[in-house]
Amino acid sequence: MAFIKLNDLEVEVEDGTNIIEAARQHDIEVPHYCYHPGLTRPANCRMCLVEPHVFFPPAGKVVPDRQLATGCTTTVRTAPPDRKLDGKYDFIVRTDTPRVKKAREDILEFLLVHHPLDCPVCDQAGECDLQDFSYNHGSGKSRYLEVKNVPPKKDLGPDVLLYSTRCIVCTRCIRFCDEVAGTGELGLIHRGSHDEIDIPRDHDENPLRLLDNKLAGNVVDICPVGALISKDFLFKSRPWFMKQVNSVCPGCSVGCNITVDYKEDGLYRIKPRFHEDINQHWMCDDGRLGYHYVNSEDRLQIPMKRVDGELVPTSWADALNLIVEKFSETDPESIAVIGSAQGTNEENYLLGKLAREVLKTESIGLFGREPGEEHKFPQFTIDADKNPNTRGARDMLKLGEDASLTGEALWNGIANVKVAYLVNGAPERPLDEGAKQVLEAVDFLVVQDIFESDVAQLADVVLPGVTFAEKDGSFTNAKGWVQRIHRAVDPPGEARVDWEIIQQLAKRLGGEMDYHFAGEIALEIAENVPDYQDATHQNIGAGGVNIERG
Amino acid sequence: MSNELIQIETPFQFSEENQRKFDKLIQRYPVKEAAMLPTLHLAQKQAGYISPAVMEHVAELLELPVMKVKDVVTFYPMFFEEPVGKYVIRVCYTLPCALRDCKLVLEHIKEKFNIDVASETDLAKGTTPDGKFTLLKSECLASCDVAPVVMVNDDLYKNLTPEKMEEILDGLE
Amino acid sequence: MVQERRILYEHLDVPDINTFDVFRQYDGYKRFEKTIKEHQPEEICDMVTQSGLKGRGGAGFSTGLKWSFVPRDIEPRYLCCNADESEPGTFSNRYVLEKNPHLLIEGILICCYAMGISTAYVYIRGEFTLGKRMLDAAIEEAYRHGYLGKNILGSGFDLDVYSHPGAGAYICGEETGLIESLEGKRGQPRVKPPFPAVEGLFHKPTVVQNVETLCNLPFLMGQGVEWYTSIGRTYGDTRFDPPQSDPNTGTKLYCISGDVNKPGVYELDLGLTAEELIEVAGGVKGERVKAVIPGGSSAPILTHYELECRLDFTSLTLWKSMLGSGGIIVMNETRNIVDCLLNIMKFYAHESCGQCTPCRWGTPWVRDIVQRIADGEGRQTTIQRPRFGIAEGGRWGDTGEMEEVYEDLDLLESVANNIANVDTMTWNTICVFGIAVSWPAVSYLRKFRPEFEAAIREGKLVTLPVEEATVPPEENYAYQQRIVPRLFEAPA
Repeated sequence: MAFIKLNDLEVEVEDGTNIIEAARQHDIEVPHYCYHPGLTRPANCRMCLVEPHVFFPPAGKVVPDRQLATGCTTTVRTAPPDRKLDGKYDFIVRTDTPRVKKAREDILEFLLVHHPLDCPVCDQAGECDLQDFSYNHGSGKSRYLEVKNVPPKKDLGPDVLLYSTRCIVCTRCIRFCDEVAGTGELGLIHRGSHDEIDIPRDHDENPLRLLDNKLAGNVVDICPVGALISKDFLFKSRPWFMKQVNSVCPGCSVGCNITVDYKEDGLYRIKPRFHEDINQHWMCDDGRLGYHYVNSEDRLQIPMKRVDGELVPTSWADALNLIVEKFSETDPESIAVIGSAQGTNEENYLLGKLAREVLKTESIGLFGREPGEEHKFPQFTIDADKNPNTRGARDMLKLGEDASLTGEALWNGIANVKVAYLVNGAPERPLDEGAKQVLEAVDFLVVQDIFESDVAQLADVVLPGVTFAEKDGSFTNAKGWVQRIHRAVDPPGEARVDWEIIQQLAKRLGGEMDYHFAGEIALEIAENVPDYQDATHQNIGAGGVNIERG
Repeated sequence: MSNELIQIETPFQFSEENQRKFDKLIQRYPVKEAAMLPTLHLAQKQAGYISPAVMEHVAELLELPVMKVKDVVTFYPMFFEEPVGKYVIRVCYTLPCALRDCKLVLEHIKEKFNIDVASETDLAKGTTPDGKFTLLKSECLASCDVAPVVMVNDDLYKNLTPEKMEEILDGLE
Repeated sequence: MVQERRILYEHLDVPDINTFDVFRQYDGYKRFEKTIKEHQPEEICDMVTQSGLKGRGGAGFSTGLKWSFVPRDIEPRYLCCNADESEPGTFSNRYVLEKNPHLLIEGILICCYAMGISTAYVYIRGEFTLGKRMLDAAIEEAYRHGYLGKNILGSGFDLDVYSHPGAGAYICGEETGLIESLEGKRGQPRVKPPFPAVEGLFHKPTVVQNVETLCNLPFLMGQGVEWYTSIGRTYGDTRFDPPQSDPNTGTKLYCISGDVNKPGVYELDLGLTAEELIEVAGGVKGERVKAVIPGGSSAPILTHYELECRLDFTSLTLWKSMLGSGGIIVMNETRNIVDCLLNIMKFYAHESCGQCTPCRWGTPWVRDIVQRIADGEGRQTTIQRPRFGIAEGGRWGDTGEMEEVYEDLDLLESVANNIANVDTMTWNTICVFGIAVSWPAVSYLRKFRPEFEAAIREGKLVTLPVEEATVPPEENYAYQQRIVPRLFEAPA
């Protein structure tokens, strides 16, 4: 640890921390654009200038250094005893002197000379570093009389637009593509004040490559101004009109930490949230743009039952009674309960409890999306398992390595079952012919789902469940991180939160379940499921709990 | 601006001699990327300018994303992205030459060929219709003692006057 | 009159000196042979330090000191020879490359032997096609004669030298810009520290030296430190002389161009005055000197009052200018300073690499302001000093004096100073290009303000007579500070 003097504070920071981070840890803002903690530091925006102090032998004392230094590249280290400043400090730096303030004002003036005044139509307005820092540190007037550069707007790829006029050439996006994605589609063209970010093009502006890697959306997040804009979010909403909750991406078993921006009428965008051990600052575009199913018009909104071969709407009471009736008249050995790798730990735990304690069956299985492709990038991986909670569901349902009702074996396993209760909840899960035949052969199939999927179409009763954005709970990712998801929007129509449906069923079957919120179930999980002793909602918090770390 | 990827119809290949030169070049550096500038010079000499096909080939040779090549090509004024004249005339326009009336030489060339001075993004306006000459302003050519100077391709012409320039240009085939 | 002392340029005009055989006849490579026979690498570094040799590229940094920063335990180490000579007004390296390339190779050999370097790259600017051809031929000859390659002269010392062409970017003359460019990227300077001596080319310790500096080494090693330190003007006891503790030894290849009768490269002892140099170059062409740029276009300008200034690294710093690359540009009474500044600012706006904010957007802004002034569209207003009293007609009102304010001149100075502050010598940019922009802008403006004001007032460029155009010495910000403060005098 280094002992430093930061403005008037005496603080300890870890060796190797830069001034921006050291200040951030103590709630002092050092404005910056090009610096991003997940990328290399070119120090090109010059916004984070701070004033280090050094020992000046002729004066025999510590004085402000002649030159200001960039906070991003200035790191603090423990100094040897004879090199301490004022006898005790490893480093002395000020971020609030007139010299620093003047430098910030000057840099902001330069940053704004070519910047258009189009905040009223800019998506970034409201969450724009250029706006915020200009307001906090700028001079408020421009002395620039010359003609502004007006570089063209550019289409960079499937989801990214570049409003070049707004660009301040901090090169975060270029560095992201080089360092994290390793794909290098972006670069600068021209020189000096004509610098523009671009993809490679020929002389007639036709592209040779597009910014189409699976991590491309991150460049929009890291753009400190409104230059890089997601086509998906373009002109959709002002940031300040949206609410935000923390959640976990349901797209694969990596379990990227995300924030969900929503309004009453649905989700508006998903952005990655920093987690050091899981996704750092990033997420993939599959997850980022994969939320649209939540807002879909085609979501199941009302229970349905099969009458004369057709699925027709019915009431919850009718649907549940029908199921209870079937369960009651069936031999427990002919009942199968199949949980979902898309579901939370809480609902899978209840499902396991329903199966074992109420229905007295051991035919418990797990359903989920088919594995996809794994994508490896220099600093990021997208898992092949496209379910967020395969590991958690297995733990909750107590399915060992040799469990028979998982994966491909599921279809053989339930071939002789008379009544099956299957929870799906995946945005898409096509079935092959073999699987369809197996499910068709089941006498009475209950499916809890969010769409009229292939599975739901074969059901005798369909129960409308909800997506990750409409419920509380936790997911366990492939590496054992138990993390929270939070309810953002209300379920559509009469759809109900999955664990509540399971509890309703259990109650009607005479089981003893009386939970009021998901956290209550988590408390029970902590008591009953091995390794989950710390995984109460209170403990999980925003950072998650790792069950492998005992 | 379209979003359609262009197809390169005729890929660029080094001639045998240039390939040999490139093979020698690449051994000089511990990382392939470092051979960028000499390779681009070599390619430009062969192809006349750095076309997308050249960029693709150089990127492949140096094992880099093609944007890294484009990035470098647009940074350095000596690389052209469009076809240029057989003779590229660079008129030094920096202070020492300006003090020695390089303006007269430049104006003379402009009038003679009825062309403008080419800019880095628009070489066509400074190229004669027959594709023989391209006129560029150049920054200091480091021959201020013999100012004004003009470089035509690789050759430097010193102590110029419009008359001398005329003579030189007429002598070029 | 001051006499030329040709050392580096002594045999420059010998026919075929560019060939190995002729070069040998004039002591070629013999100084290198002597060096490896008589000296250990560490001794050479000490000798270079003692000689007081300063880097001739522009910054004038002590070569020995620079070498001492290179960690000896990290392999490999590299030498980059900076032959990207592109500072306007500088042309001495070109002649070395074109006429006497073996001298450079000998210098490289000595430097690499001293530093334990086995790979050297010579970064030649792209426009030097002839120079590169000559150097390549010389390198080939040196390989053939066993002066390059493996186990040179049986000493166990290996060295490969490669030439590397630039492609027309001025910023690649900055040492870290050069390194980036050599690595095959845009020539955008790096953030320092780490300095190249610690982490440079391919992230290894790297010595970056100018051609002229390296060419000094054969003579320094051949004739010894004592001989070398004896060169350089002995200083009188005028108050303007630099302290003896910071010697400026050796000769300098002064490149003089512009309005002189015999422009060219003159090799002279460091420390002659600007007046003397102009005399050596055949005197001013025209009637009189109006201004002198002492060290390439980025150096602050000198007025005709300041010609007694000694042209060496230390003195010029005290006069708030710099020797830089030693490119001296003389302007006579017919020159318009605003026009000259416009030319220089166009150069810098074109050559800014665009990496960091102040330079990327400040440099073209400065150019545009100067352009506006030169076009006669500079802004000027008359303001009334605030003073409340009884005005004409017996009413209360402002009665302060009327004053002419040249808004654009204030703006020009302020914007330039925001890129790099000329008074405090601090810059907000990554590299010194920032100060190379604001130095000329601010110094031209402050020292020749009447001419700028005239351009705005008259609405067109007006060339004033020398005396009228120049700010008198007592108002010249630099002139008043030229006296060496006794405080810095080295203890006896």
